Amino acid sequence: MSPLRSCLPASLAALAVSLGGRAGAEPRKVYETTVSAPTVEELPEERASTTVRRSDLDRRQPSSTPEALRYEPGVFVQQTSHGQGSAFIRGLTGQQTLLLFDGVRLNNATFRQGPNQYLFTLDLHTVDTVEVMRGGGSTRFGSDALGGVINVRPVEPPGVAASWVMAGESDANAGGSDGSDFASPAPARRWFVAPRLFARGATADTEHGGRAQVEAGVALPHGLELRFVGGAGAREVGLLESGGPIVSPENGLPTTARENFKKEVPRFGSDGRTQLGTGFKEVTGDGRLVLGIGARHAVKLAAYLYRQYDAPRTDQCAPPEAPFDECLTYEQQFRTLVYASWDGPLGAAASRARATVSWQRWHERKRLERPGSFYLHRGNDDVDSLGASLNATTGTARPRTWLGLRASWGADGYFDTVGSDAQVELSDLKLVRVMRGQYVDGAIYFNGGAFLDGELLLGRRVTVRAGGRVSAIVARSPELVDAREMVLDTPKIDRSWFPVVGHAGVEVRATGWLHALVNVDHSFRAPNLDDLVARQPTGAGFQCGNPLLDPERATSFEAGLRLRTSPVTADAWLYQTLLHDLVMKQRSEGCPGGGGFRSILQLTNARGLSQIRGAEGAVKVRLPYGLNGRATVAYAWGEGPAPESLPVSRVPPLNGTVEINWSLPRGLAAGGALRWATKQDRLAFADKSDSRIPLGGTPGFAVVDLRASYRVGNQLAISAVFENVLDAAYRYHGSSVNGAGRGFILSMEVMPTH
Amino acid sequence: MRRIGLWLVVAVAGCGGGSATDGGTADMAMAARDMAQAAGDMAVAAGDMAQPPGSDMASAPDLAMACPPPVFKEDLSACKPAMTDYQPRDNMSKNDTWPACNSDDNVFHPIDPNSVSTIARTKAFEDIAKKLWDAGKIPVAADFGDAKILYTQAEGIDSRVQRRQDIHYPELANGAKCSDMGLPAMFPDRCAGPAKLLPILNDAFVKGAMGDKPLTQAARIEAALLWFFYISPLSEIWSSTSSVKDIDSMVAYYGGGFTRDNPIGLGRYVKAIAPGTHDRVFDGLLAARCWRNLDMEMGTAVNLKQRGQAWAQVDKALLRGMALILRARLGELKCAMGDRKDAHFAFVQTIGPLMDRAARVIDPAKADALKAQVGAASADKVDTAAAQAALDGLFGCP
Repeated sequence: MSPLRSCLPASLAALAVSLGGRAGAEPRKVYETTVSAPTVEELPEERASTTVRRSDLDRRQPSSTPEALRYEPGVFVQQTSHGQGSAFIRGLTGQQTLLLFDGVRLNNATFRQGPNQYLFTLDLHTVDTVEVMRGGGSTRFGSDALGGVINVRPVEPPGVAASWVMAGESDANAGGSDGSDFASPAPARRWFVAPRLFARGATADTEHGGRAQVEAGVALPHGLELRFVGGAGAREVGLLESGGPIVSPENGLPTTARENFKKEVPRFGSDGRTQLGTGFKEVTGDGRLVLGIGARHAVKLAAYLYRQYDAPRTDQCAPPEAPFDECLTYEQQFRTLVYASWDGPLGAAASRARATVSWQRWHERKRLERPGSFYLHRGNDDVDSLGASLNATTGTARPRTWLGLRASWGADGYFDTVGSDAQVELSDLKLVRVMRGQYVDGAIYFNGGAFLDGELLLGRRVTVRAGGRVSAIVARSPELVDAREMVLDTPKIDRSWFPVVGHAGVEVRATGWLHALVNVDHSFRAPNLDDLVARQPTGAGFQCGNPLLDPERATSFEAGLRLRTSPVTADAWLYQTLLHDLVMKQRSEGCPGGGGFRSILQLTNARGLSQIRGAEGAVKVRLPYGLNGRATVAYAWGEGPAPESLPVSRVPPLNGTVEINWSLPRGLAAGGALRWATKQDRLAFADKSDSRIPLGGTPGFAVVDLRASYRVGNQLAISAVFENVLDAAYRYHGSSVNGAGRGFILSMEVMPTH
Repeated sequence: MRRIGLWLVVAVAGCGGGSATDGGTADMAMAARDMAQAAGDMAVAAGDMAQPPGSDMASAPDLAMACPPPVFKEDLSACKPAMTDYQPRDNMSKNDTWPACNSDDNVFHPIDPNSVSTIARTKAFEDIAKKLWDAGKIPVAADFGDAKILYTQAEGIDSRVQRRQDIHYPELANGAKCSDMGLPAMFPDRCAGPAKLLPILNDAFVKGAMGDKPLTQAARIEAALLWFFYISPLSEIWSSTSSVKDIDSMVAYYGGGFTRDNPIGLGRYVKAIAPGTHDRVFDGLLAARCWRNLDMEMGTAVNLKQRGQAWAQVDKALLRGMALILRARLGELKCAMGDRKDAHFAFVQTIGPLMDRAARVIDPAKADALKAQVGAASADKVDTAAAQAALDGLFGCP
């Protein structure tokens, strides 16, 4: 027994609850990817995609789910707040990318244009893998999948047999020594309960928090098996210390200089490093119950709760030039997701199928405070989404030896109802006035469709794929009348669209280790209620919805090469995305509620072709002595419609990463990472008035992290990251928050044995 | 003609020995209101000089006046532009010392014609005026709530009052900012918005909402906001050095738009009293635009000497405009009675001290004279003639 193992605190050991019988437990292996059964929601294999695995998360120690994507090619994570993160995929973000959790759509009727906070609300402790598909994906996934799709797959509870084997109690009965053989003969009746504790802290933002988790399982008669994983966690995150203010590329002065007073984002404390308007609190809870029915069927019931409190929007807390105490704070950002699913075959119609019903509630409460004039604005927005989906994949039919046919098909529908209200409080006057909310209370939205995907296998070297989807989207919003002024405030909206989209592609396996792929995809995003009726402050100004918007569409062309050899794997892609009827911000005068905002903006379809083109690459090399390395690079270039042909807003600069990992004996590992980006000075008009982007653009950066970890069997794992070793002052383009300065992140995972 | 008509009407309204609200009968008040309206219509039809905005002479029902306020007739014949002044109305600037620029056509060319933020603030001022003081309105408590909603709307006037610096005073040392905690109280002159104007506005809104001398509170709000709209264009000239779009805000703070004609806000006040002064203000604003056109228009300006010339031209003309607004109110103070008199006195007391800095720079003796009057213990003790004489001496030319 190792010294550390013997020194585990008694209090932790006491958590090893033994309820009798032969109990075992499988800790999730810290340095290996958790094995998850394939599901029909897997992202299309022929597309440009990467997967962040649990082992990557444990090694990199990101603080949030968006941050987990920092090392993925073609993905650029922007942060308007410390408690928020939005992934740009191929230059698009927000409602133009689709977020899925275990195949359930997170995008709802109020997903905002531009960066949003929703991906942040997935507790990283519950995440097993994050799959990122770059490029359009509406055929399979429906509206919003213009820039790409992010599918977060949750940690699954371990099987009873596997956990029993992993506990080392009987290798003979299990038949596999690595614990990953789920097909091994299971005992007639076995069960286990295994607690697990996580703790994490960081110096840059004084983050401290943890999670208690329980995994349990019981093997029942008749091939049934009941498994569970669930837990609860909390963390408190303080003000984030950075490497200091970044420098404006235009005048060479820091954003805190008087000359840059309109771009003073974020505000700094007296030390010139600590960023005001950062920090938040977070509470999470989740439970996942899986009933395995034989080898082929599974029924799952899952609930995921996320509660974030008091997260200031950094660029508005305080806004440039405003008094130090003016602040927009998201007091509550709550997401509740409950769903049930069934996995299994559907007779001749499908060898694998999955049906899901879900309910999701998004709740947001924000507060804009200007204490100097006793002014307080509160807003509440709630969206309830009921969803159902059926996805299926047939087996491969082979009418000829050289010909294979396979199909995927499915249908889905999500119905959203919106509640929204707001009020202004003038505490010195003891006056409360009810205002229109950000959205229209009582608005509804339906988004659904059906798809069919086909795959034609021609010999051993060529696969042709094609598919199509028909969708139906309905948006309804009641008329609102301003009772005080007796004027129409918001017109009634009753819109519907029936987009038809599709894709096609060819994969050629030139050799066993080199594949060439060409894809063309036509995807869409129907206007949601945020586009149609919202009124809200944004980084570029006050933004009004437009009830006359049409869907925006993207036609993507991409060509890629995949190299798969034992020492080297590599992917390289070139793409061009043509955006039709892109929803853009346009200056407007007719927008109630805009007050004195510098810019009053209304969304409008750009009647012309916008385009984003770029290249992405990733290479992974396995070296001797336990060394391996990975590097990524991505470039995107965006241009709006002619004749102006202005840059598309917030397109990321040339950027990339380098990682080196070294696995040592006795559970030790070490490594280092470099993240870099060049200056981005191709700015859209809206970027120039966006206080998050310094005068002249965002400067480039290079940030180095060092990592180390130590694992003691399956009972204890400790990871440490020495982040931003060079204490660089840096910011991801479009962010309000500068990256963390030099500091340490320490995390620990304990699973007491019993 | 309009003035005579109004004087007859208010004399009728005031013949009961007090204003309609504090003594006159309801019938009399109604009659006076009707007659005032009729007289106002007549005056408009006659096209005579308009009364200064904010004045109670338009259609107020409660006016009890001891005398007709003196009529001001602007005479700039003795005034000469400074050597460094920009003069676009004089042969398209060909006779001044400024190089050719895009203002020479006597039109303000905005950097971004769609920029509406400051225009919205100036429009909000007009909306507040309608709620609280325009057309002789006697506001009720609820009006102050409505007005404060307008005042505090997102990115509205309040948000800028809380940021506004009076750049007549030196910048804070060591990179300190008025937005930092505690600094407005330490540097009230420079941090005029949060330190001087905000307390007046907050106090007046609260007292007005409580029904405490609503006319007086409305006058305090009016005076404080006018001062805000005076220092704002000057501040925008300064900030446009690195943020060129602020030059649009400069002109919008003055007149709510980009044209010389039909200004709203402070420009409306100045033009109504003294069209010549208004023109000189606008000349100055065009000078500032000319400077930005000549000096790295899309970047950071470097010709601070030229900026100073434009700034001084605007400041001098604007100060004259503010002085005339104060002068007109002193005239009304002399003739008003009751709550109206108190309101005018509150206006004078609010705006008077704010003019002390400029007055003292020009002539300390006259500044003392002015200070003595605007700081008088009560309305009855104000020697309006002395105060007006001091103003005329100090700010005789725009």
